[in-house]
Amino acid sequence: MAAQSFGLIATFDKTPDVYRAAEKVRDAGYRHWDVITPFPVHGLDKAMGLKRSIVPRISLAGGITGLVTGMTLVWWTGAVENPLIVGGKPMFSPIFAFPVSYELAILFTAFATIIGMFVVNGLPMHYHPVLKYDHIRRGMDDTFYIVIEARDPRFNLANTKALLAQAGGRDIQELEA
Amino acid sequence: MSTPTATALPAGSPTASAAGRALVIGIAGIVLTALGLFVSGAQVVAISWLVGVTYWTAIAIGMLLLVLIHHIVDASWSAAVRRQWELWLGSFKWLALLFAPLVIVSLLGSHDLVWPWMNLAHELHGGHTVGADPLYLKKEGFLSLPMFVGSTAGFFALWIWLSARLRRASVAQDADGDVKWTSINRKTAALGLPLTALSLTFAAIFWVKSLEYHWFSTMYGVWFFSNCVRGALSIGVLIMVWLYRRGDYQGVLNTNHFHSIGQLMLAFTVFWAYVTFSQYFLIWNANVPEETFWYNLREVNADGTPNQWKYVGIVVILFGHFVVPFCLLLSYRYKVTQHIIRRIALWILAVIFFDICYNVLPALKDAHGNALPLFSINLLWSITAVVGVGGVCVWSYLRNFPTAKLIPIRDPRIIESLTHHE
Repeated sequence: MAAQSFGLIATFDKTPDVYRAAEKVRDAGYRHWDVITPFPVHGLDKAMGLKRSIVPRISLAGGITGLVTGMTLVWWTGAVENPLIVGGKPMFSPIFAFPVSYELAILFTAFATIIGMFVVNGLPMHYHPVLKYDHIRRGMDDTFYIVIEARDPRFNLANTKALLAQAGGRDIQELEA
Repeated sequence: MSTPTATALPAGSPTASAAGRALVIGIAGIVLTALGLFVSGAQVVAISWLVGVTYWTAIAIGMLLLVLIHHIVDASWSAAVRRQWELWLGSFKWLALLFAPLVIVSLLGSHDLVWPWMNLAHELHGGHTVGADPLYLKKEGFLSLPMFVGSTAGFFALWIWLSARLRRASVAQDADGDVKWTSINRKTAALGLPLTALSLTFAAIFWVKSLEYHWFSTMYGVWFFSNCVRGALSIGVLIMVWLYRRGDYQGVLNTNHFHSIGQLMLAFTVFWAYVTFSQYFLIWNANVPEETFWYNLREVNADGTPNQWKYVGIVVILFGHFVVPFCLLLSYRYKVTQHIIRRIALWILAVIFFDICYNVLPALKDAHGNALPLFSINLLWSITAVVGVGGVCVWSYLRNFPTAKLIPIRDPRIIESLTHHE
């Protein structure tokens, strides 16, 4: 019984080749696919049609939560739960609550950024089907790969294989899930 | 990446006529400010002139800091825009000239037209004189006329010298491509940064803070520093967009340059807020009369009624100077969209003007010791002064523009800058 297919992997030897192939895969309308390179290739995000990360929005939500938490904490403890006059100041003022609030805003922003980055990237990830591919180690050295996943709505074994071949890929193989 | 093609523009290019227009605007502003002498009197005009000169000197100091920081951290992205900052630094000698009238009026007559502590017989509110004021006597070693004149001259000399030195090495490298010029500028930066930091701090204390010499604030120099850099970054954005639209920077700059300068604008917006709030917060918390009077003057009249400055502080300083630019600059799209970042830069330049006003203008008081309101005929002279000094600064920059190449073509980092990426 053949194992369930994860998708197709194609090998490329040069950076410009994989860059142009990525543009072709992008233009063909694929969504669930990736490029494996041994080093960062500048502009590849554009060639792949990737949008900017949503992590900054998660960070902003974390920051606002922190600011509100800090203000609420100082107001609740100092003006509601245990009203206590300190230094002749009002029971609550956003002025003295501000240092605590913005420290919490920074802390929550940092948490939201790290956690958001992990969630968006699907980390921690202990297994990935491409790890079964015999030559994948060369993807950390001198070779480039494009992987198109079978779950992509446009995926069709024959057509996708033809696309990768036409884009200049060699050794196009099916990956087990 | 396309090859940068710009070289020195020939005389008679559009910048020459633009420079002429800037000079006309500058002179018109100066003449209008001078007409204020007949409308609002010498003291109002002198203090308005201080607003104008301080504003543009702050921006020039900010430019100097940007160039020094570029060299000390061996930055790459800013190599392509650094030349324009260097050209802007030519405004220091004109600023020194434009500052001179304030020094001259302080040397003449009763000396206290602008800074009250320069006249020991100056009567304070309540009947004492400066000479009998314990708070002045404790500070007289620093706050003396010779110290003021010597320091101001020394600061301008230092800034002019550093600017000329940085520019000379940078332009010399265009000709021979020798890396030694980069290392010379790095050494200039290592020496220049602490000197500039100290000089701008003392300049802020002498020129602005000493208008209320009773006051104490260790944050003051840092407050001034953050305004210097914010103003310089904003002028930097205006120059970048202007040269991009004109065509000079096409193929030189990409969106990442705008992103990088926008990130610095965001960082310094937060830094400015941190410093300004810390100053307010510590004084509010400690509640010591020698310190709180400075904010009281900007919040209430002697009879306890709120004055105009209270609303200026909340609306213009808190929201205009921090909240609005902060929220806008969080956005990646706003930072890299030229017409948006340009508007944010113009906004920041406008609120820096009000911040300088907030710090300087309440030195003008009525017979009860209340600060004169911001919105009155007096504000007109501050605006004409800023336009006047600004016209001269822009003229000085545009005049220098054709004298050097658009970008430092043989800077070791220039290729990295032209291919700047995230």
